[in-house]
Order: sequence, then C-alpha cells, then structure tokens
Amino acid sequence: MVDITLRVNGATRTGSPEARKTLADFLRDDLNLTGTHIGCEHGVCGACTVIVDGRAVRSCLMLAVQAAGSEVTTIEGLAPDGGLGTLQQAMWDSHSFQCGFCTPGFVMQAAAFLGDHPDADEQQIREALSGNICRCTGYQSIIDGVLLAAERNREQ
Amino acid sequence: MKLPPVEYEAPTTVAEAIDLLAEHLDEASVLAGGQSLIPLLALRLARPMVLIDINGIDELSGVSAVGGRVTIGAMTRDYVAEVSEAVANTVPLLAAALPLIGHEAIRSRGTIGGSLAHADPAAELPAVARALDAEFVVRGPSGERVIPAAQWFEGYLTTSRRPDELLLEVRLPAARRGTGISFQEVARRHGDFAIVGLAVSLVVSGEVISDARLAFAGMSHVPVRAAAAEDLLVGERPSAELFDEAARRATDDLDPPADLHGSSDYRKMVAAAMVRRGLRAAADNARERQ
Amino acid sequence: MTAIAAERYTGASIKRAEDPRILTGAGRYVDDIKLPGMLHAAFARSPLAHARVLSVDVSPARALPGVVAVLTGADLEAMTVPGPDALMALMGWAGPTPEFTLLATDKVRFVGDPVAIVVAESRYIAEDGCELVEVEYDDLPPVVSAAFALDPSSPPLFANLGDNIARPHSRSEFGDVWSTFANADRIVDFHIDVHRHQNVPMEGRGCVASYDADRGVMTVYAATQSVHVSRIAVAMRLGIEPDKVRVVAGDIGGSFGLKIGASREELAAAAASRLVGRPVKWVEDRTENLSASGQAREESFDVRAAVSNDGDLLGLDVKMVIDTGSYPGMGTMVPAIMEAMLPGPYRLAALGFESTAAITNKASYVAYRGPWASETFVRERVLDLIAKDLGLDPVEIRLRNVAPRTDPPAVMITGRPLVGVTSKESLERVAQLVDFPAFRRRQAEARAQGRYLGIGVATFIEAAPGPRSPEGPSGPMGTESMRLRLEEDGIVALFTGQMPHGQSHQTTLAQIAADEFGVPFEQVRVVVGDSDVVPFGLTGGSRSATMTGGVALHGARQLKVKVLDFAAHLMEANAQDLLITDGNVWVRGDPASAIAVSEVARRAASGQFGADVDAKLEVEATFDGGEGGWSGGTHCAIVEVDVETGIVKVERYVAAEDCGALINPAVVEGQIRGGIAQGIGAVLLERSAYGEDGSFQSATFMDYLMPTTCDVPRIEIEHLETVPLDADVNFRGVGEGGMIVAPPTVVNAIEDALSPFGVRIYEQHLPPARILELIAAADPGQ
Repeated sequence: MVDITLRVNGATRTGSPEARKTLADFLRDDLNLTGTHIGCEHGVCGACTVIVDGRAVRSCLMLAVQAAGSEVTTIEGLAPDGGLGTLQQAMWDSHSFQCGFCTPGFVMQAAAFLGDHPDADEQQIREALSGNICRCTGYQSIIDGVLLAAERNREQ
Repeated sequence: MKLPPVEYEAPTTVAEAIDLLAEHLDEASVLAGGQSLIPLLALRLARPMVLIDINGIDELSGVSAVGGRVTIGAMTRDYVAEVSEAVANTVPLLAAALPLIGHEAIRSRGTIGGSLAHADPAAELPAVARALDAEFVVRGPSGERVIPAAQWFEGYLTTSRRPDELLLEVRLPAARRGTGISFQEVARRHGDFAIVGLAVSLVVSGEVISDARLAFAGMSHVPVRAAAAEDLLVGERPSAELFDEAARRATDDLDPPADLHGSSDYRKMVAAAMVRRGLRAAADNARERQ
Repeated sequence: MTAIAAERYTGASIKRAEDPRILTGAGRYVDDIKLPGMLHAAFARSPLAHARVLSVDVSPARALPGVVAVLTGADLEAMTVPGPDALMALMGWAGPTPEFTLLATDKVRFVGDPVAIVVAESRYIAEDGCELVEVEYDDLPPVVSAAFALDPSSPPLFANLGDNIARPHSRSEFGDVWSTFANADRIVDFHIDVHRHQNVPMEGRGCVASYDADRGVMTVYAATQSVHVSRIAVAMRLGIEPDKVRVVAGDIGGSFGLKIGASREELAAAAASRLVGRPVKWVEDRTENLSASGQAREESFDVRAAVSNDGDLLGLDVKMVIDTGSYPGMGTMVPAIMEAMLPGPYRLAALGFESTAAITNKASYVAYRGPWASETFVRERVLDLIAKDLGLDPVEIRLRNVAPRTDPPAVMITGRPLVGVTSKESLERVAQLVDFPAFRRRQAEARAQGRYLGIGVATFIEAAPGPRSPEGPSGPMGTESMRLRLEEDGIVALFTGQMPHGQSHQTTLAQIAADEFGVPFEQVRVVVGDSDVVPFGLTGGSRSATMTGGVALHGARQLKVKVLDFAAHLMEANAQDLLITDGNVWVRGDPASAIAVSEVARRAASGQFGADVDAKLEVEATFDGGEGGWSGGTHCAIVEVDVETGIVKVERYVAAEDCGALINPAVVEGQIRGGIAQGIGAVLLERSAYGEDGSFQSATFMDYLMPTTCDVPRIEIEHLETVPLDADVNFRGVGEGGMIVAPPTVVNAIEDALSPFGVRIYEQHLPPARILELIAAADPGQ
C-alpha cells in the first residue's frame, strides 16, 4: 500500500492503493467516481480517459500511485456544479451518444483536444478521436457534437 | 485483467534507480510511460517482481540540440518531443514519426526512451533510431556506455541494455543540408502499430543522392535497414525507375513475420510499395526543405 | 400519419432524456454498483480447446488471503438445477440439447471455458486466486472447423449427443424447385463464406447477485435485454421460485444481442452469492468478452442459382452449414430464420434450403444484431455475381427482380406477404442520390491513373416487426404490454418491459405518450429495468418501435379516456367536452376552465371519492402489432482500394431507408449509422480468429480490430415516404437493418473496384492481405 494525495476535480483526495492498482480502478473504487468507465484495460478503447496535469491520459495505463501530487479531472468534474459545459451541451443537442458507455472517455478526450486545438476541422477531430471506440453510433453524431461545441466556443 | 502483485519502487535519482536495478536485475521492470508495460502486466504476460518507476527522476527529461546532434532524455514524453522546435528543426524524421505513435492520450504518457527500450519492431521510434544510427547512452554500476542503434536492437523486445543499466538518453544526428525525409506506414487503422513502416532519410547533394537510409518497422524481429537498397541509391539521381529498383532490392534478404494482420509475402509486397512511396516522398521533401 | 392531438414531439429529434446523466458520468452501469459486503468473482478458464478434466485442485486458491470461496463445476452442479439455455427454451426449441453445466466438469470445450469461480474481496485478488487453481487436463483432438465437426470421425464434444451436429440436417422446398432449375437458361454455383465475428459492446457482461436468505429472495443487478427473461433464467437454474427472483437493470453499455437471459458465469456468480451469503459481483473484462462471451456469423453456403439470360433470379438452392461453437444455443435457430428471409423483396419463384448446425471447440454462437443477416449477404452477392456474368448493372438487375408493390401484396415464396415494401422506391432513390454515370466516368479516369474506385449497392428488408400474420400478432413473442399510470405528482408513467441499451426508449416512448396524452415531454417518465415493477418484455428483434411505440400510443389514449372520465367529475363537465393539452385539462371553448393534470392526479389520489368514481388513474394496455410491417431499403457505398497495400477506404455511403413513420429522426439515424459501422467493421477489420489447435487469437483489441472515427465516413441517410398500413401505428423498427445490409454493400463495392483484375468475391472478411491475395489469384480475362 502506498499513501497518496492528489487533487481530483478540484478537491484534495487521499488514498492508500496497492501499487498495482490502476488510476482507473482507484477513481472508481476508492473515490467512488464511477463516471470513468473501463472498456478494455489495455489502453485501446479510450473509455477510461481522464485529464491529468492538463493532458488526456488513459487511466487504465497509469498506476494510481503515479498520480500522486497531480491534478486529475474526471467526467464528473468537467462542468461546474454538475451542470453541462459547452461541449456536453453541444453533444446533447447533437444526439451524440446512445448507450453512453464510451461517453465519458470521448468527452474528456474531446475536451482536451478542443482546449489545445479550438479551430480543428472535421478531419483533425476524427483523427484526434480515433483512439476512442464507440460501438453504437458510427461516430458521426459525436463528431457533430464536437464541431458544434467548437463553433459555440468561437461565438462566445 | 488486473495487474499481478508486484513490489514498487520510485527512485528520484539515477543513482538510486541503478542501485535498484543492480539489486533486482532480471526480476525488475523499469516503468517509464507505462503505455507498453502496463498492458503486458494487465494481461499477466509480464511478471516482474518489482517495478522501478522512473517517472520521478527529473534529470531524465529534456531535449537539447547542441552541435550536430539532438539529445533526448529517456523520460521525455512523446508529446513534448512532438511539439519541440529543436526536434522539428534538427530531426525532421523523428518529427514526422511522432504523430503516428498511437493516439494523443498514449503520447501524453509514453516516452521516447521507454519506446526505444521496449524495442517493439513494429513501433515507429525504433525504425527512426535505426535509420539515423542513433546512440543510446546507458549507465550502470560500472559506468556509462554509448551503444549505437545497430547494436542496441538485439532481438524481439530485446535490447543490449544489461539488467543493471538504465537508459539515460538518446542522441540523434541533426539533419544535414540537403536532407529529405519521410515516414510511411501501412497500419490497419489510424494510430495502430505498423504492419509495415518505413523511415527514410536521404541527403541530396546537387542532383545526386549522397546518403540514403531506409529502416523498416514490422519486417523483422528488430528494426532493420534495407542495406541493398541504400547501396543502390547512393550516387544516383532520384528517378521513378531507380526507386522501383530500390523497392525490388529492399526486401531481398528479409523474412518478415506472419501474424493475424498479414502473411510474410504480404509484408514483402507492402514493403516494396512503401519503399517506392517513401523514396518519392523523401525526394520531394528534400526539394521542399531547400 | 397518425392522428395525434398535437404533433409536437413525434417525428422530431427531441433531445434525449437519458443524456444529462450520460454526459456527466452519472449513468449507473452494473460495474458501478456497490453493495455492503460485496465480493468479486473471477473465473479460472481453460487454456485448451478440448480436453478432459482429470482433476481440479482449488485448495491453493482457497488459501490465498482475501479469497472467500472457490467453487468448481461439480460444486455448482450440486447447488443448481440442470437445464438448457434459457433463450432457447423461451423460443420453444424442441430439438436435442447437449447437457452442459455452468462450469466445466468432466470436459472443457473451448479456450476460455470456465472451470472454477473464485470469489474474493477484490477483483485483483480473485484473479490472483484463479492463477492458483490447479487443473489437470487430458488433451483431446480439437474440432475447429464445421467441416471436421460434420465428419463422423471427429471426437464428439458431448457424450449424450454422440456426434457434433447440434441440429439434424433438414431440407425444405418452396415452389417447384426441380422445374425452375430444369427450365432455367443457366445455373450458376457458388460457395460463399461468412466469417466469425462478434457483438463487442463497450460494456461486457456482468451482474451483481445478492441473496437475501431471510426472505428467500435473489436480487440480480444485471446488464440485460430483458429483466424478465433474466429472472426466469436465474430462477430455473438456481431452483428458486420465479417470483422470488428480482432482476434490476440500470444503464447498459450496449449489447447487440449478447446480453439475453443469463450466462453461465452470471448464474455461477448468483449461486456463489447464495452460498457465501454476501453479494457477488462479476463483470467480464475485455479478454473474457472477446474469447468467452460468444461469437456469431460463422456460416458457409453452397448456392445454386437458376437464372434467365435476361437476369431474372428464378430460384435458389442453398445448403448452409453454421458453426454453433461449443454450447449450442441461438445458432441452432438461425437457419430457420434465414430460410424464411432468403427471398428478400424479390420475385423468387423457388427456394430449396437445407442446413446443418455443427458443434465445434469455439465459444458459443450467440445472437448478434440481425442474426440471420447472412441471407442478405448471400442474396445480394449472388445478384451482383449474376449481373457481372450477364453484363448487367447492379441497380438494373435488382430493379428487374424486385417484387412490385401490388394489392394484394406479393408473397415471398416462404410465406410472408411483402405488404408495404418500398424496395423498388429505395433503389430508385439511391440511383437519384448517387450519380452512377458520373461515378463510372470518375472510376474510368481513376483507373487510368492506377487508382481503383468501386461502387456497390445492396437491398434488404427486415421484419420490424413483420407483416400481420393470419394467425394473430405480428411480432415475436406475441403482444406487447405496458402499464400507464398518472402519478400523484402529475407525471405520466409508462412501465415497460423494454430494456433500452442505447435505443433511447426513455425519449421515444415519452414522445409518443406526451403527444397522445397531452402533457409536455418532461411530464412523461418511462420506467424500465425492475422485474418487480414492469411487465414482461424484451428489447430485441427490432420490435420496439412498432410494438412498444404502439402500446404507448394506444395506452396513452386509454389512460386519457380514464383521466377525462375522472376529471369530468371534478369539473362537472362531460368527458367528451374535455381536452388535455400542454399538461392542462380544460373544457373545449373555455380556456379559463383549465386545471393542471397534476392537480387532477392529486385529487384522484386524495381518496376523497366514493366507489362510484374510478379514481385509479392507471391502465394495462396491450398491443398486438397492428398491421405490423417491414423495414428496409437500399444502401450504396463508394470505396477506394489501394491495390499495393490492400487498404480499403469507404469514401461515401448512402442509405435510402424506409422504417415507416419516424418517432425521432436522430435516434433512427443513430441506429442506422451504428449498424453500418458494424458492417464496415465486419468486412474490413473484425474477425474472431481461432488457430488450428483451437487457440483463440483475437482476445484483445490489438487483434480484434474495431472500426474507429477514421474508418466510418459521413453516412447520408434518406428517409422514404412511408406506406401507412395501420390507422395509427406506422413506426417500424430499424435497429438491425444497417448491420444486415452494410456488409454486402461494401463487399459489392470492393468487387466492383477490383473488377479490372477479374476478382470475384465469395467471402465477407477482406483485410488488406486478403485483398492482395484475391488480386493475385484472379483472372483478368473474366
């Protein structure tokens, strides 16, 4: 067991995970933040994507102990006060999702990408999200949601 | 797919890390970016007794361009190298290959040194290192060694790093005047490992190719140079016919692996196409860079 | 269109009620459930494809700190009731069933066959425990192909069956097969293979089982397409009274046919929870999902086609072999559906069909979105192959053969009337949307430059739910039930056995009810996922748009009648003079009379009315599908094939589809696009791969490749004018169509791209290496 302290969604959190415990499992089991989903546990599907120190990462490919001292944002912390941010609202308006299991990973990855590339075009968005797998939608509605969010961000 | 029980160490200096490596030798795995190692642990294919997490060793990160080369610390994240102006300006072949590594989230954590120490022959960075004759600086209890790429990659997922040594940095030569590069890969999907990948670096002096380096990913148990093609190209003027002949020769001595994604013959056919396309792109790049 | 009071919601892409929780991580999937004292299960699984189990020693696993219980196959047999697969039983399967146990006892029959269940304080420890289970195996020769399974010398997987045939060979004939073939201008023979691939929902199978010994009640938190089918499966196998089993489901991360009933592992976890007296969670990881949850579509077809020189497809004679894997279930039932659907919307005069189901050492064949889809693949490939032989255009040959819409409607040779089918219109629409002559010019120019573009079309119908049958209800499993209730707070609650796992029922059904009843969308709540509370139902078979949309429509009307009868008392008016709009009840012509529906509900619940007034504002509605109907359409794909690398890019994809009246266009289009993505995945990327020794080779996402944003293009969808069949309910299902018709659409396009090389394609899986093999083997003179 390793004692760790980190900031998650703006709050200081502590825990004593085994070294082998992934950040994904730590978030879900120890911190009860079950919005981050586990889809493959080998870093391919992107469902577990969170933001660590400003970068989108696959939380199944990080040990919890490696996040000590870091700033972590999960889907629960993306929008203020449990509401919907611009990206989430745009995805709602665009019917982006169906079963919702891939959703937190897509939202976090898209949020990180748009933050760095606010004027990305469709092809760039497709490439940026090509590491997130969705089985339900065929992706078009997700891309539309991201494009709509980018447009609304520009208008603000 | 939960990781197996394992001990964990997090040294904060290189010296500490080397002491740990010397103590545990083959029972230890070095944890850098984790993007390759953690899946192996989750699948319980790797069973080290101890993980030596080097993410806390600050001195292992950094990119510096001095004289005729670029030195990249082993723990430099892929994404840092991707946005590094020093890399873009002095090692354009590396800059071309980096965006092809997996996806952004992988590059957030993955490291230059980690990928090269893991030595997956289907990965992009080993092919780049092999093409450019990179130098690998390791340090162990008995001191430092500098290992050229040709000796670094020993076998499938195997390097000549001894179990008590730590990879500190990689040195890549700065691209000379007249350099043209390309990195081509055929992958099943965007971001996947290459079924066949090709790193090309040419130097075109006047109208003639004065230097030619072609290194394949996915064609052997290590990244491998297409020596026969290189020999053919040096001293010649770029032309479609020359590139066709180079493509024919490039795979003569190779016996590429067969797997779910392609037979050996398939890889040879694709490799030939990669050589044609890669040389064309590198020649174009040389013209653009002038 | 239906006679709806205020056409505000139905037909509009109303934003989903599900999304606020989905988008903020507040969804509740089975792995999110935590109960006090909950334990975690993992399974020790066979590394061999076929072997006798000589001994199982669980003592080292039991000794591991944190492990609470380890049960073997024998242990579980002693505490459960033997029986067949629940879905098969439900669907009335009467054929031979192999005897199989929840966990392997005397034999293992595929790589991944579970041998022991380890229950521990955490999944980490449970997996550690699995590694300590010692099993002694005696290797047996593996049966890894249907061909070998049908060979009498193959070692039988099941002693009680004696051979590896899951269902006896059968042959049916429709029309005059002999004459049709005897008199045809030409007979052509093909052998067509469809490869093994699988559902792969992003959330795997799983459950949390919790047994209350005091009350004798087993509660299972499940991921399932029907809480009641799961309940019955658990009850049957665990020997518990069905009304003492409660199945609860929250959000479900996709299924596509996988999560029906209860799997062997879920049943084992439930039995374990009863034994240890604590809740047990089992959620499969991706390796388990790929290797053990089940696979689909591995079928092969010997096809004879009787054809006229002008391109009439007169008859088909098909011999099919289906590889049902090791614990046969759904696979044994699929051939019958294929036989019924093979003629499609065409004027086929004769059909001969025979099938054999083979048992092999692979994971079991399960239902996967449009389980009978290969009938469309075979038929649409055959049409293209015939067209090529005769020099006909693919749209032309289909227009020639499609049954015209007549009154009375044409009847498929296999019995079902093609009532309301708009296949001809969909073909014509695609021809309008895609400028074929312009494409052919572009294709020729590209070929001159060494680039290979191709175009393909395919046409299909799906029974969604299917035409009204003379015997009664249209849909599978007969009528659909729903309880509708005006709650005390004014919410119109719909209690349905539907179990959405991406279908957006909490939105679409609310749209219909809101329109019919007269309240705002937000004032309707769709209640799902609790077997104590909802009537029987199952989400599957593309039934819900018609069956559940219909029962919601009629049920809302019935509830409205009841509410107005009650409101008439309150308002001292005639019920016939009352309206409900925007959540208010009012007297026609007197807006000032309006009372909120919520107020009416509150008064009804207040108990102040005598027995002469019916204040129970609730109805139990049923719907038999009305006139039912077909969905269908024509899809078209344009691809480019890189003939040096074999990489295929889908450049453009157009779908002209008819699913009747659309409840929510965005939901419909999402379903279609998702199905098409799976079809593209099947052709270009996905294969459940077994080695010759039965080893499983695609157990991670590095080898089982899923389509991504860069593999699926923008899909243009055109909705056709519906042919209304029913006075009120013309919504038809659309869930499976995309996945049924996309594979032949894409394969037809690839063959067209490669036609200069003389390539002919008789298979569905075309990874890059296969493309180059086909080119190398082809004869350009063809």
